[in-house]
Amino acid sequence: MNYTITHVTRYSYRATVELTTGVLRLKPVSRDGQVLERFTLRTDPPCLPPEERIDPFGNAVLSLRIEKPHRELAIEASSRVRIDRPPVLGLSPPWEEIAAEALTFPSLAFDSPALGLFPSRALSLFDKATAYARESFTAGRPVYEAAMELTSRIRADFVYDPEATEVSTPAHVAFEHRHGVCQDFANIMIAALRGLGLPALYVSGYIRTTPPPGKPRLAGADASHAWASVWCGASLGWLDFDPTNALAIQNDHVEVARGRDYTDASPIESMVLSSGSHELKVEVDVVPV
Amino acid sequence: MRLEAWTKAYAPLPGIPDEFVDADGRSRPHWRRMLAAFAAFDQSELRQRFAAADRRIRNRGLSYRVVGEKDERVWPMGRLPLLITEAEWRRIAQGVAQRAELLERVLADVYGGGSLIASGALPAAAVTGSVDYLPSMHGVTPPGGRGLRLYAVDIGRGPDGDWWALGDRTQAPSGCGYALENRLVVSQVFSDLYSQLNVQRLAPFFRSLGAGLKSGGQRSEPRIAILSPGPMSLTYSEQAYLARYLGFLLVEGDDLVMREGRVFVRTIAGLKRCDVIWRHVDADWCDPLELNASSRIGVPGMLEAIRQGGVSVENMPGTGFIESRAMLAFLPALARGLLGEDLMMPNTATWWCGQPQERERVLDEFDSISIAPAFGNALPGMKGRSSVIGEELSPRERARLRDAIAARGMDYVGQEVVRLSTTPRWVEDGIEPRPFVLRVYCAATPDGWRVMPGGFCRISDQLDARAVSMGQGVESADVWVLAENPVEASSLLPSADSVRITRLLGNLPSRAADNLFWFGRYLERTEATLRVVRCLAARSVDPDAPVRVGRQALDRLMGVLVGWGAVDAAALKDGAAEASAQGLRDSVHYGSALSLARSARAAASVIRERLTNKTWELIGRLETVINPSPGRRLSAGEVVDLTEEGLTVIAALSGLFDENFNRGAGWVFYVMGRCVERGANTCRLLRQFAGADATDQTLGVMLDLIDSQITYSSRYLVGVALAPVRDMALLDPFNPRSVVFQVNRIDEGIATLPVLRRDGILEEPRRLTTALRADLDTERAEMLDDARILAIEQRLLLLANAIAARYFLHGAGQGRAEKITGLA
Repeated sequence: MNYTITHVTRYSYRATVELTTGVLRLKPVSRDGQVLERFTLRTDPPCLPPEERIDPFGNAVLSLRIEKPHRELAIEASSRVRIDRPPVLGLSPPWEEIAAEALTFPSLAFDSPALGLFPSRALSLFDKATAYARESFTAGRPVYEAAMELTSRIRADFVYDPEATEVSTPAHVAFEHRHGVCQDFANIMIAALRGLGLPALYVSGYIRTTPPPGKPRLAGADASHAWASVWCGASLGWLDFDPTNALAIQNDHVEVARGRDYTDASPIESMVLSSGSHELKVEVDVVPV
Repeated sequence: MRLEAWTKAYAPLPGIPDEFVDADGRSRPHWRRMLAAFAAFDQSELRQRFAAADRRIRNRGLSYRVVGEKDERVWPMGRLPLLITEAEWRRIAQGVAQRAELLERVLADVYGGGSLIASGALPAAAVTGSVDYLPSMHGVTPPGGRGLRLYAVDIGRGPDGDWWALGDRTQAPSGCGYALENRLVVSQVFSDLYSQLNVQRLAPFFRSLGAGLKSGGQRSEPRIAILSPGPMSLTYSEQAYLARYLGFLLVEGDDLVMREGRVFVRTIAGLKRCDVIWRHVDADWCDPLELNASSRIGVPGMLEAIRQGGVSVENMPGTGFIESRAMLAFLPALARGLLGEDLMMPNTATWWCGQPQERERVLDEFDSISIAPAFGNALPGMKGRSSVIGEELSPRERARLRDAIAARGMDYVGQEVVRLSTTPRWVEDGIEPRPFVLRVYCAATPDGWRVMPGGFCRISDQLDARAVSMGQGVESADVWVLAENPVEASSLLPSADSVRITRLLGNLPSRAADNLFWFGRYLERTEATLRVVRCLAARSVDPDAPVRVGRQALDRLMGVLVGWGAVDAAALKDGAAEASAQGLRDSVHYGSALSLARSARAAASVIRERLTNKTWELIGRLETVINPSPGRRLSAGEVVDLTEEGLTVIAALSGLFDENFNRGAGWVFYVMGRCVERGANTCRLLRQFAGADATDQTLGVMLDLIDSQITYSSRYLVGVALAPVRDMALLDPFNPRSVVFQVNRIDEGIATLPVLRRDGILEEPRRLTTALRADLDTERAEMLDDARILAIEQRLLLLANAIAARYFLHGAGQGRAEKITGLA
């Protein structure tokens, strides 16, 4: 599957901004069946030529710096990706084996399960999520099968509701309300899995805007999307699940960045020197080509 | 005889070693020597010396803060030092230096080569469990050449008589400045005893630490800054003290800015490169752009500057994970692997429950060992507790904790329960054994690891040794390492040939300039308010003179206090005496003399490292002098007396500044603050008391408020008249209280400040003062009217804004940097 993606973020500020600095995670990664074929970044007003580095989770991070005073800022990232993720075949190991393997896996590299084992800055563990996950993670059950069931249960038990939560809403609050958006569902799933001792990460990205003929349009398609990644042992590696749509990730999802929680993977982090507040608009288009 | 009585009454706890008395009940000779000297003082002398120590602590501004409290507490210093013999200290120092070396190598490997992880010697999850492990520092070579610059370790003596490491401190160890302060106080109060006992000096250690920090910079004269979380931090007074003692800049995050891979200090002369940052801020708060986005005390882009090698941050961000208890489980084996040696100073035996065998062992011995969090200080699922012992738990708690360990063992460690030794603590004319923890410091210097001979000792007032952090009931004590031979006196004095003579200290940071300016303004405003209050109280106190006083003058004085936010309008009906009392010491209104004195102290607290101890003490005294008995009603006469005392303290402060403050840029900002405020206030008062409707009485008040009655009556024999009063208050360049005098001083001050561009064009503040000065020089008193006086006042306020915009961190109209996270 090939996609072209346009991701436009527009800020308008109440007062003049003297300086914007920041980091952008808008450039999709190439890994696990996803290949980035083209990427361009444009900002208005223009930024200094961005520097690129690869962060500890394997994400491409671009620096942003705009020194011209401005009242509005538009950041437009366009990319073209080719996706061909192989389906998961055969039986995965029992989840308890995965939990034990994760603790001894000798690596701190970006794909190490050790990075996904612990509560993180914006994502605490809570007993209720762990208990919720236990219903699917029964003794000896293959990890993939159990994770898929958990993904579907979240979809069934929670209501997609953009009004219910904000970026900073903690997972346990969204869990109590049984309402939220993609980020909340991903958070709940990650907290639940970590509670069992299974490595889980937060993934941000996109899903295709227009559904294939005869299929319904997926929720979260008009903005950045988020889902969860679960480490399924050294041989299977990290496998992704989208609890918002009750899907195992295959060829409808484009990954941009991953990390321990959204603070590691958010698309734009910027600091502005200004005295006023701001408004934000985001448009995302993901078109199959 | 007293010594015998003390020794006899001293009863160490059974089975627990004691510093003073050995296992056979014999007192140790070095302790006897010291206690004999104490016993030789008679009771009143001892009391006097202790009182002198308390006074010194107060006067030095020694304080600390308890989490969540606004006010600092006076430092609780124990009366007796902890004594350690040189021979014993040598072993401690070797053990500490060995640990430091081991931890440095572990850090280098974890963030670099990765062989410890790859070989399984250190599980990856024992590292990533700590929030202080920073994946983004992976593969980054520390620009300062090493991860640890200052390492500290809490140690205690175990039942076997050996010293044990209880916890490593690698993030931003605090307390070494307090140790130094303790030493200064004790060595002054007991100077005779101190030299008799050959106590090893601390100064050489700090000299080495300074040299170590300097070696982290890439230029020959690196600019070194102590990065502080700000005056609300728990140990701010220590940071200010270290900055003053070592001659480093004390900065907060706002003072620093990252540009093109380097870090700069904002100064009044523009951005100046900062080579070395000694951070007293936890790594997670250091860079809001990459780490904790809610941090307001960091420097956006600091980590990128480190990656590009543009600044040395000591200790390297990311070193903090070593502090995790989980690490203790692996250090003994890592020492054998990395150093080929056993640990000379072992740590508390620890089992990390992220490993199956260790977890089983902890669950088997659940009742007899201490369960603690593997990472951080909160035990998951055990609200508010940092460690528990199995047998102390209720059956329900027990089951819960065991389940939690079975499910997520990696969050827990089991630790051997250690009973620490006790040391004598002074109680009213006697001694009692109390447990203590000793923090020892070790610095990486150009000559290798250096251990501070002494340390920061905390003595509990409880017999339970488990919670000895600085809080209620815990005392700190000086630590004396007793040399076998007399020690050479040493201070921070470097040898003569290594010093380049300078007369002015670098470029003034913008934040310091800002706070000096505002300190000057608040102090001046306090003085003006006190004068108005005094005038009002004095005139209301004399019931026989209503005619002479005149209603108008009283009303105007009260009007000024309302206008300045010192008194609320509703209070005026209670009369002038009540209004004056409120203007003096009301704590709600921002404009009362008391509130203004507090604001002055708040501004001064941020630049404490630039003020002498005497100055800081006087600033604090101002508040107590004008409000000695809060809540009690004051008569008008008392109000007059209190304002007099307040004005005396301000006069003393002004005198101290005049006599002692270096005539550098800092001085100019203090003076400009006072002059801008005085000039604007005088204009305001002129419009009230020397306006078009002025009377004899109001003109008299005016002269009183600007302290110029005597000058006036010696110059003008005819009595008060409008134009001469205006001339004296506004235009007379010989009167140090006139507006033109203030403008001249500001103009002269600005002329000495650095300019950003040498293009010959006047910078805005200078342009404004030059124009104002010319206009005032050519103004004539007879031509003045209220509108022109108002215009002068407004020009002074514009000048204040221009000074802020040019020199301070956030010029007019600019806000703070705000972090925006764009996530849909």
